[in-house]
Amino acid sequence: MAGETADRATTSAARAPVLSSFGTVSKAWLGLLGVLLMAGLGAWAYQLQQGLAVTGMRNVFSWGLYIMLFVMFVGLSAGGLIISSAPKFFHSDRYEEFARLGVLVSLACIIVAGLLILPDIGRPGRLYQFFTSPDFRSPMVWDFGIVVLYGVLNLWYLWLLTRRDLAARGSRFAFGTEDTQSGRDRDRKLLFWTAAVALPTAIMLHSVTGWIFATQVGRGDWFSPLVAPVFIAKALVSGLGLLLVVSILADRYTAFDADRDELASLGKVLGVFLAFHVVYLLAAERLPHAWADHFGFWAITSEFLIGDSIYFWLWTGLGGALPLVLLLIPTLRKRLSVILAAGTLAVAGTLFEGIRLVFTGYESVNIDAAPGISLGGEYAGVATDIWATSGTYTPTLVEVVVTAGIIAVGALVVTVGLRYLPLQQPTTQGTYAADGGNEGHD
Amino acid sequence: MGQAWNRVLTVGGDHVDTPEGSYPEDGDGGTLEMSYQPTACQHCENAPCVKVCPVNATFTREDGIVEIDYDKCIGCRYCMAACPYNARVFNWEDPQHVPEEGTGDVEERPQGVVEKCTFCSHRVEEGLDPSCVVNCPADARIFGDFDDENSTVSKYVAEYDTHQLLDDKGTDPKTYYIQGEMSPGRPWKGKELEEELDEEPTAEEPADVTGDESVSGAAANPTGGDD
Ligand code: SF4
Ligand code: SF4
Repeated sequence: MAGETADRATTSAARAPVLSSFGTVSKAWLGLLGVLLMAGLGAWAYQLQQGLAVTGMRNVFSWGLYIMLFVMFVGLSAGGLIISSAPKFFHSDRYEEFARLGVLVSLACIIVAGLLILPDIGRPGRLYQFFTSPDFRSPMVWDFGIVVLYGVLNLWYLWLLTRRDLAARGSRFAFGTEDTQSGRDRDRKLLFWTAAVALPTAIMLHSVTGWIFATQVGRGDWFSPLVAPVFIAKALVSGLGLLLVVSILADRYTAFDADRDELASLGKVLGVFLAFHVVYLLAAERLPHAWADHFGFWAITSEFLIGDSIYFWLWTGLGGALPLVLLLIPTLRKRLSVILAAGTLAVAGTLFEGIRLVFTGYESVNIDAAPGISLGGEYAGVATDIWATSGTYTPTLVEVVVTAGIIAVGALVVTVGLRYLPLQQPTTQGTYAADGGNEGHD
Repeated sequence: MGQAWNRVLTVGGDHVDTPEGSYPEDGDGGTLEMSYQPTACQHCENAPCVKVCPVNATFTREDGIVEIDYDKCIGCRYCMAACPYNARVFNWEDPQHVPEEGTGDVEERPQGVVEKCTFCSHRVEEGLDPSCVVNCPADARIFGDFDDENSTVSKYVAEYDTHQLLDDKGTDPKTYYIQGEMSPGRPWKGKELEEELDEEPTAEEPADVTGDESVSGAAANPTGGDD
């Protein structure tokens, strides 16, 4: 950061971006994201032309990586918004330093989630029909609406949080807002009301996304009233996990300054969320079935404890029990590296949970008599079986490249935000570091 | 390639055309059992595929047939997740037709849309039975107006043991599977190909079409056990 200081802020709280310029490392990073983005676009073009046959999806297993990651990124988008709006709603300044970065990350995640739907659609050119011919019985229409609403809300929230500081720095992103004390006071009220709208919207977003699955009678375990609450718990876990990871990384690599005690306290909250999600809700979901299906005490207990698939274990063990233990041990849980690891594991856990959810729906079919269901892929020769009585799925390279390209968009949003948005810690002095910013002040 | 609207499943052993149970050995009676279950779209009354379709591309017609508007379908495949019978298939690539001339009287489907059995709505509209009914050599299928108590299909359903597939799912299919000793079903209307018709179809339009398919082994064993 350039050492020059300026006293031009009219109030005491004007903040600066945490990346003062794009250095060599940042440029290499941006270049990498650009390459991923272009590759993703190329792969999508190829997929559009060849059809979804170039993915690993087929007639039995008809949703794959795109939807699994859509579910994950919807969950990830929860963290920042909830951490920044929940305290505001209670008129508290707690965790204020994470609010801006948090909402930025939320915005990036909901953008990624929305974009992930595009390559999953067979004929994306017809998507306008969501407006011209919607069926309001469809949970997908509800979800479309709420994802768009949530994205817009995030954008508005982020701007509301930063616009006075942007104005103080003469940024064009202030869009004519002025940095005045009365303006800042008005924004405080607006922030309260935005938080009051944002919280229920977040709850609806995760519930509705859960209901896409939970309303389906034909796909095994999807049909469960618990799915929506589980999606909320999943969102709290993964959203907060990601926020912690991004905060610690930003603290390490940019001028963003995260308070260690606050991080440790958020780590504790993550532990509580994890316990609620992976221990309590899972038990509540499994116990009735285990009890009803078995007779002996040990038979019930073992059925209750023993999981099904590899994804189940990756989720509950690696992404559930392990971070929970890390966050429980008093000597460990205050270390940044431990919080970083726990956050990463928690995020990975929910990824596996999403994969497992999709698998439980498609793995087996209700009517599995031979020869089964026609797969609809290309018939590659005498030995190829065009029939299946169960679903299998492995993503193809095309899917991975498209997905990486979309995630790169999210990373790009965060990176640009770090550079141009005033995300820095609130300071008590009336000074901030000049950065040779975009609007040549001074 | 490799899309099926109607699949004839073997109810019995693990493989096609194999029974379950054991051979009669050492004087014991065997328990071998096998039957066939033609499985296509069941045209559910409470059709989850219709309810999930975000853009109204899948809809229930006045006469009860569940149909897809291939010009509207965005290819989200939510309906495939919704259908408990796996009756729907997706055009993962540009469809190829055998023979290559195209799909005849059946509407063509482009890459990227979902398709399924239509109860041959293009034939029903002309007053004809669906092709599977006309072409079944065992006359195992009956098609007709379920709202009309005197239709063959209504009489069969009233008289014999019937069941609907996966009735515990609450989808209430309009397709019934009939069991019991019975005379073969009778086609409802004409056997002609739709292009052979005169201008004026002679049959009146059906109010509510309901199909039945008798499942029960081959024609040789009309009393055969069902699944
Ligand atoms: S069988 Fe499947 S596709 Fe046919 S109406 Fe029922 S739910 Fe829809
Ligand atoms: S794939 Fe087509 S028919 Fe099925 S739900 Fe989506 S838009 Fe409707």
